[in-house]
Amino acid sequence: MGIVIAVISGKGGVGKTTATANLGLGIAQNGKKCVVVDFDIGQRNLDMILGLENRVVYDLVQVMDEEASIKQALIKSKVNANLHFLAASQSKDKTVLRSNKVEKLIAQLKQDFDFVILDSPAGIESGFEHTIEFADAAIVIVNPEVSSIRDADRAIGILDSKSQKVKEGKEVAKYVIINRIVAEMVQRGEMLKSEDILEILNIKLLGKVPEDRGVIDASNQGKPVILDKNSIAGQAYSRIAGRLCGQKIDMKDIESSDTGLFKKLAGIFH
Amino acid sequence: MFGFFKKKQSATVAKDRLTIAIMSDRDGNNTYPFMDEMKEEIIAVVKKYIGVRAVEITKEIDGDFEALSIDVQLDKNA
Repeated sequence: MGIVIAVISGKGGVGKTTATANLGLGIAQNGKKCVVVDFDIGQRNLDMILGLENRVVYDLVQVMDEEASIKQALIKSKVNANLHFLAASQSKDKTVLRSNKVEKLIAQLKQDFDFVILDSPAGIESGFEHTIEFADAAIVIVNPEVSSIRDADRAIGILDSKSQKVKEGKEVAKYVIINRIVAEMVQRGEMLKSEDILEILNIKLLGKVPEDRGVIDASNQGKPVILDKNSIAGQAYSRIAGRLCGQKIDMKDIESSDTGLFKKLAGIFH
Repeated sequence: MFGFFKKKQSATVAKDRLTIAIMSDRDGNNTYPFMDEMKEEIIAVVKKYIGVRAVEITKEIDGDFEALSIDVQLDKNA
């Protein structure tokens, strides 16, 4: 029986879909069977990031409405055979989702995959609620920036009240990935430190991802940045995927690592 | 040099502002989804005995202590 993880954010544009694609591929690289599901009905972005947009025939709404089987709708990644993808519908909007249908779909996916990763829509409306309802765990993506953090807190609040696990008296596991960290700005006191973000949100850290221009280059090509061994963001996603697969990987202190400022300071003292 | 250190760093400002904003966001959530339904039921029960004009329910949080105050306004003319 697989584990269901919802990737959520609150605010849009923080790198949620990029994180979903890279974590899915990273988990697959660890030898686990993984399916990434685009729950952002009406938007359809994950297929582009994964480079699978031309292979989408059936979407998840059609599966839920029994117009297509899961087997027909699942797309296997060319990059890694362990990674599968289920596309969002572009023609419908997120209000088409029904709780019982979502539950059934997720139950089926859990049978066949070790990891079921749900890319939730931004915001906190109905589509978001359905994504978190049947998740065992949630990964919150934030940027070190005030509006992203505030909205993440609201999303976490809704997670705590709508999750099926919480309703059953259990706890839904919650983790945060802090994305787009610029070490130099943190060192200058111009960007929130990870520890401050964790304190404000009262949540456990899953990983830190540095700002990396390679992310856009990767999505241009439909090749998730984790495939680029030289990319610092790709390396960060590899570490996070390893943690999700149960490996003990120390948190890398990317905030005080080598930056222009440090080099300059070193220059002054030497 | 000293001016640089005197100026409050923007990350610190961000932390202070966020802490306050999020605290008030969380407190603003002083209601339950079943509040309206509960209100209707209380009105129905009290009405069996005496006229009711309105029922007001407020959630109060004081540290770790939470309470629901139920205020029943009677209708003298009923």
